[in-house]
Amino acid sequence: MSIKVNHVFFAYQKHGPDTLKDISLNIANQSLNVILGLNGSGKTTLIKVLAGICETKRGEVYYGSTKLNTLTYKERSKIVSYVGQYAKGIEDVKVKDYLAYGLLNSFAFYQSPKEKEMKQVNEIAKKLGIEYLLDKTLGNISGGERQIVSIASALAQNAKVILLDEPTSALDLKNQSVVLALLKRIVASEKRTVILSTHNPNHALLLNANVILIDSGKILEVGSAKKIIKLDKLRKIYGVNFKLGKDFVFKV
Amino acid sequence: MKKHKVLLFFLSSLLIFLIIFVAALLIGRYQISLSDFFKAIFTNDESVEIERNIIVNLRLPRTIVAGVTGVALSVSGLLYQETFQNKLVSPDLLGVSNGAGVGAALAIVLGLSTAFVNIFAFAIAVGTVLLTCLVAKLFRNASSMTLLLSGIIISGLMGSVLALIKYFAEADTQLAVITYWLMGTFSRVDMMSVYVLAPIVAILIAILLILRWRINIVALGKEEAESKGLNYKFYRYLIIGIATLLTASTVAFCGTISWVGLVIPHIVRIISGRDTRKSIPLCITFGAVFMVVVDIISRSFTDQEIPLSAITGIFGTVIFIIVLVRYWRSYHEHQG
Repeated sequence: MSIKVNHVFFAYQKHGPDTLKDISLNIANQSLNVILGLNGSGKTTLIKVLAGICETKRGEVYYGSTKLNTLTYKERSKIVSYVGQYAKGIEDVKVKDYLAYGLLNSFAFYQSPKEKEMKQVNEIAKKLGIEYLLDKTLGNISGGERQIVSIASALAQNAKVILLDEPTSALDLKNQSVVLALLKRIVASEKRTVILSTHNPNHALLLNANVILIDSGKILEVGSAKKIIKLDKLRKIYGVNFKLGKDFVFKV
Repeated sequence: MKKHKVLLFFLSSLLIFLIIFVAALLIGRYQISLSDFFKAIFTNDESVEIERNIIVNLRLPRTIVAGVTGVALSVSGLLYQETFQNKLVSPDLLGVSNGAGVGAALAIVLGLSTAFVNIFAFAIAVGTVLLTCLVAKLFRNASSMTLLLSGIIISGLMGSVLALIKYFAEADTQLAVITYWLMGTFSRVDMMSVYVLAPIVAILIAILLILRWRINIVALGKEEAESKGLNYKFYRYLIIGIATLLTASTVAFCGTISWVGLVIPHIVRIISGRDTRKSIPLCITFGAVFMVVVDIISRSFTDQEIPLSAITGIFGTVIFIIVLVRYWRSYHEHQG
């Protein structure tokens, strides 16, 4: 499903400064997109606006031809799923139960997952290679595993677009690449549109994604990673010197 | 076996409840033998008229109300803990108990009848929670934290109002009644209380049983729950509303009873795990058994009835310590 963002402004306080300023974007169906920027540049806010969690001050977000803020929560959840920071206080929930929460939007209010749905959960876990986690609790798995579980839950939700707010920020190098590879696979094999935010230009290059470069709440540039990630640009935004390798940029 | 663990616990606690329920009708300062019990219930034999009277008019309504109270307080404790993502929250968090206390004390000081004490307690308990929600709205922030803060503030306010009413109450008569009420008692309960309380609690519990899986998702918090397609605000207020009505209606009849809403959900969660589909049914049976036992203790062994909160406090804390210590020990052994 393609996404169109039309001159969006957003502010956290009614009369406060704009966190997002005149954002316009077109995101293609089944594409892999990275919102790249510094801490405080508005990455998270943009993701939340796309998810419908933050209501725009001005401007609209369209999914296909549907305006995002006209949807009910249930309708919205069938179009877009959001993977944010981990919810606290649910460390004793079992992974399989948590994954089943993703199926909420396919139920009427009196229904709950039965054997058939738990099979569905099993299949998703199998696809992502986390079957061995199903009977563990969320508090008893590693950070990398927890992130994959969150992604699995978003897949269970069966939305066409998956938004992830800094999915790699708490992970070690190995798990970062595991999660990124997984996201790349999901775009190809599950036919989803994926948008993630990160402050690491390497991630955009590794994924060879469509990059949305953002600074101080404004879009600087949109385009393929190889085209956009240039040394002088990075130096300007990040304020440090970089060196360009074949697939990587190194901070000097 | 493991798959049916919760079902097994549910059925056995249900069976225990039925046994305890009958036992509650026999045990008391006036002991009734099993044969007299059957004679009194199933025949018209006039030789057991006293026994029949005690069972039907005194112990039956008390035991039913005790069971219903146990159900209501345990379940509402669980609901609050799930919605606030905090296991240490108890049903009186948003000011229900202190509000009910103010209502009851006011009615007692005004010299009103028991029925009015119940009505005042219920009305001001619910009013207090509404006030808490109203104050939370002032923060313009829908997080659980603001509601929790408002609860503490308004609860404190009601505590002070209660202190003021107690200060102006007549020391010899009214103050004693207020104090006794605040510690919880089933002694003023009759069949009328059953007719009012039982249907209210039954309807609320029925709604919860229908929605019991969704309560899990409310515990994820606003952003994640909404992203998964849940109308978070609606469900949160619905659940808080139900929990409040459950507590307020029982407290109105029996006074404030502490600890039940904290201890029972904890024990239940250790058995059922974190899944409201399983924990709510277990809270129902465990809560009922616990309160009926507490009631038997409260009325059977001394000339004067022991206040309920004293018993729930003593037993509750001891059970709490035992359960928690065992749980944490095994948990850490498990962790290596």
